[in-house]
This record gives sequence, C-alpha cells and structure tokens, in this order.
Amino acid sequence: MNCIQLDNTLPNVFLQRADIQSDIWRQQVCLEKGKTYLIEASSGTGKSSLCSFIIGYRKDFDGKILFDGKDSGKFKTADWVKLRQYHISLLFQELRLFPELTAMENVEIKNSLTGFKSKQEIERWFEALGIADKMSSPVRLMSFGQQQRVAMIRALVQPFDFLLADEPISHLDETNSQIMADIMMEEAHRQGAAVIITSIGKHMQLPYDKVFGL
Amino acid sequence: MKLVWKLLRRHISLPQFAGFFFANLLGMLIVLLSLQFYRDVKPIFSEDDGFIRPDFLILSKRISTLNTIGLGSVNTFSDREIDELKSQPFAKNVGAFTASQYKVSCSMGIEGVAQIGTEMFFESVPDAFVDVDLKKWHFSEGDDFVPIIVPKTYLAIYNFGFAQSQNLPKISEGVVGMVEMTISMRGNGLNEYIKGRVIGFSTRLNTILAPENFIRWSNERYAPDSDKEPSRIILEVNNPADDAIVNYINDKGYEMEDDKLDAGRMTFFLRLVSGIVMLVGLLISLLSFYILMLSIYLLVEKNTEKMRTLLLIGYSPAKVAMPYQLLTIGMNAAVLILAICGLVIVRSLYMQKLLTVFPQMQCGSILSAILLGLVLFVIVSLVNVIIIRHRINQIWKN
Repeated sequence: MNCIQLDNTLPNVFLQRADIQSDIWRQQVCLEKGKTYLIEASSGTGKSSLCSFIIGYRKDFDGKILFDGKDSGKFKTADWVKLRQYHISLLFQELRLFPELTAMENVEIKNSLTGFKSKQEIERWFEALGIADKMSSPVRLMSFGQQQRVAMIRALVQPFDFLLADEPISHLDETNSQIMADIMMEEAHRQGAAVIITSIGKHMQLPYDKVFGL
Repeated sequence: MKLVWKLLRRHISLPQFAGFFFANLLGMLIVLLSLQFYRDVKPIFSEDDGFIRPDFLILSKRISTLNTIGLGSVNTFSDREIDELKSQPFAKNVGAFTASQYKVSCSMGIEGVAQIGTEMFFESVPDAFVDVDLKKWHFSEGDDFVPIIVPKTYLAIYNFGFAQSQNLPKISEGVVGMVEMTISMRGNGLNEYIKGRVIGFSTRLNTILAPENFIRWSNERYAPDSDKEPSRIILEVNNPADDAIVNYINDKGYEMEDDKLDAGRMTFFLRLVSGIVMLVGLLISLLSFYILMLSIYLLVEKNTEKMRTLLLIGYSPAKVAMPYQLLTIGMNAAVLILAICGLVIVRSLYMQKLLTVFPQMQCGSILSAILLGLVLFVIVSLVNVIIIRHRINQIWKN
C-alpha cells in the first residue's frame, strides 16, 4: 500500500463547528509510503480519533479515507484484518497490552499472526530498550514507560507500510526516546514504510518530511 | 493460539460450566436412553420377533340401548365402510360375516337314539378366513349335505361345564363329527330339510359356520328380500401390535371381539411414554444449552476489551471466536461420549432383566441412539459456534 488519502475527513463530533483550523480535517491529505510525518495537536483535537479512523476501529467521521484510492467505507471485515496484519501497524496511546501476559507473550501474540520476526530479533529489541530483564514479567507489574517500550516492540513485529505511533514517548526519558526512535526508524526503513507520529508537545527528534497541525 | 487461549480462559466460571456439563449430560442420556429403550422393547410387541403372529380381528359396531329398542344408527357395515377398511395400510384382508336371514332349526341323533332339536342360525365368512381343513368344506346347489364348523369353545363348555356337572359323558371332536343333523330351513313359504354334520372346530371364529355359497344360495331361496349388509367383519392384519389399528377402530367406534390388540395398545403406550421421557430429556438439554450460552455471554462480556484489542492488532473475528467455539464443541463432544458410555451401561442392566423374561429376544444395536446423539451434538455445537461468532462480530462492530 503506497498512500493513505484523507478526503475531506472530519470527526462527526466536530461537524457543528465552523471554525476548524487544521492541516488534516476537511483537507485533502496524502500520506505516502516511505516518508516521515509528525501530527502535532493539543488535547481534544481528534488525534487518537484519526488513528482509530485509519485502523478501522471507529467509523464516526464525515468524508472519506482511501487506501491506494480504495474507499475504506466499503471495506469488508477480511479487508480490515488484512490491512491490520500486513499494511498498517498502530502503537496505541493507551498501549492496549494484555496485563495478564508477560512482556514477551504480549509481543509473541502479535508476532504469531505472521511469524514476521524471530525470537532472537525480538530479544535484541528488548535488550536495546533496556527491558531484557522484564521479558518474563507480567506486563501489569511494569511501569508505564516500560510498557510503552513493550508496546513499541509489539507494533514492530509485523509487516507494515505505515506505522502509526500515537504519542509513543509520553513517559520516556530522552535517552530511551532516542533509542526507541532509532529502532523504529531502522525497522521502518528496512520495510520502506512511512512513520506517522502524533504528539501533544514532546516528540521524537526525527527528520520529518512534513509536520501537520491538527 | 496457546497465548490467545491463555488470555481468554480468564473469567471462565468452573461452577457454571460444570452445571452445564452435568445438566447436558443428564439430558442427553435421557434422550438417548428413551430412544434405545423404545427400540429394544418394541420388538417384543411387534411381528418381527414372532411373539405375536399376523392375526385375525373380528369387528362389529357397538350395540346401544337405542339399538335394542329399534332406534339409533344401523349396526351393519356398508360397502363404503368395508372398502375404507380394506384401504387401510394395516389391513391385509377383509371379509364380511353373512348371517342366515331365515329360520333355521336343527335336530340330531345318533342312529336310533331319540332326537333333540334346537333353533339356531348360520353365518359364513370367505373361505380364506376359515381355520379348518377345507377338504370337506364345500357346498353346491342341489347337494343334500352341508358341512358345519362350530367354535371349539362350545365343545369345551359342554365337556368341562355341562357334562361334568350333570354326570354326562364327555364327547370328543370325533364323536361330534359322527352326529348327523337334520337342518330345517323355513321362509319365503318354504319348509325344507337338509343333512348337516360338524366337520371341524374353529378357534378363530366364534360362530356356527356354513360355507359361503350355501348361505348365499339359502338366503336367496328362503329370504330373498332381506337386508344383506354384514354386521360383523373379519380383518386380517400383518402386525396386530400396530397401534394404528387401535386408533382406527376407536375413531370409527367399532368394537373388537377380544383383546388381540393389547399389543397395539402397549406399543402405543410405550411410544407415548418414550416420547414424554424423550421430551423431558430434550427440555433438560435445552435448559443446559441455555446455561452454557449465558455462561459464554458472561465470559465474552468480561473479556470484551481483550477481544477488541486482539481484533485491533490484526486477529480476525474467526480466530478470536475459535477458543470459545472449541471449548463448547469439546464439552459437547465429552457429553456425547459420556452419554453413550452411560447408555451402554444402563442398557446392559435392563437388557439382563428383559432377557430373563424374554429369552428369545434379540439384542438390537445402539446405532440409532448413537446417531441421534451425533445429530444432537452437531446441532447444538453448530448453534453454539454461530452464536459465539455472532457475539464476536458485535464486538468487531463495537
């Protein structure tokens, strides 16, 4: 998949508002494979909603979202499943990890869908992010920052054309943010994928191709 | 899959599932047992086993008080009624009793001994229904001799009732056959005589029989204007245990001479009881199914967020539904297997008892019960699978 096109898209909750000033809402936007984007926004401007619309979790928006020109409104269940397995990976703001599983199991449960990464590759990421000792710990016993890193690894263990990271470093220090950014960009480059990062202030220092104000 | 199961097995309530399991087991066992018992016991009453052979039934219409005083409906069978009876699937052969419509009296004596006489009557049935050697059973117009058949019970009544109490000699069938009777027939202005002799004794027909062509000839000669509709019917059936016969006869308001249809009534009763028991079993199964569905719904409710996350990270609804689907199918299969084991055990217990009473009984197979169990298993599992998938689809759509 090469392009995510937002065609006059607007969340239904904003339909009554006339004063929409946004680089995304009610605009023609094309997000291209291979590029790096930053979407900056203040709270409540629909940043997570945008991620939910793109991943097909929510459909309460006006306008269209097209994948390579195909209207997502006409997608069937199987199309969305394929999209989530092979084309778009989302790092959720609320992480959506399974607290009763260990850190490794949380990654494995995703990796087992496609068998995309070997166990060694995954373990290397755990080490690089400084949580190798937590691999067998239940996620619920980890700090939010540690959980954020597990969620990042989980987002990377699948083939993707677009990686959406919804506030990926909100609870990380500078060093860990940089390590995470490096790992993320390395994997994105390997796959030739686009990276779309949302942020409400603190964001990864990356060579962005374009910065949108939501 | 292992991880998904680890995730989704949380919140499984063992007491709820055990409740379902045992209730369903009980229901299934009752359903299978009722069918098996019906199939095992039915041959005892039916023809296949030969305990009760094809048989003859004698039907008449009910005589009410109104009939006695000359009112009420006719108690003879019309041609239409006979044809209808003939067309019933259980009827193999139907014959009408024809009665003599003129006055008959008979006097007898063994050569030289004083004669005794009595008023009497004749009836005839088609020859196929006569259970006596037919060699001497013929009459043609102009013959001066008519063969007669009397019920075996008459001789028994005389020998063991009358003769015993009156100190009279007992008579054998052979002796009766030697007695020559003079039969007087009066009617239509004629009074004629014919010789007669008892040529046999019938256990089937409780009447004084003369050949059918004799009755036809004599009725035309002595009572040409009389009503010829029969008041009794003889019916040959393939299987007297067939409860359709009892139902038909009851519906029509006919009466039967004896209780040969007890087997039919028993079969009907057996089917009724088995049916009720099976219904109870099905009801228990249905309730257990309801418990299972409630448990699954609760489980899905408690695990909704996890399932939603699985869907969002790329799991298909089919994959998310599979653990619970396999769980229910597994439980249903375990119920089926245990129910069949239970069936085999219980059956061996009652078959021992049945075989002591009916040693010639053949042990049938439990194939049909297993088949029924399989059908129930497939239906219940299919409904489970569909409902679970439906619930996951609802989560997919939010």
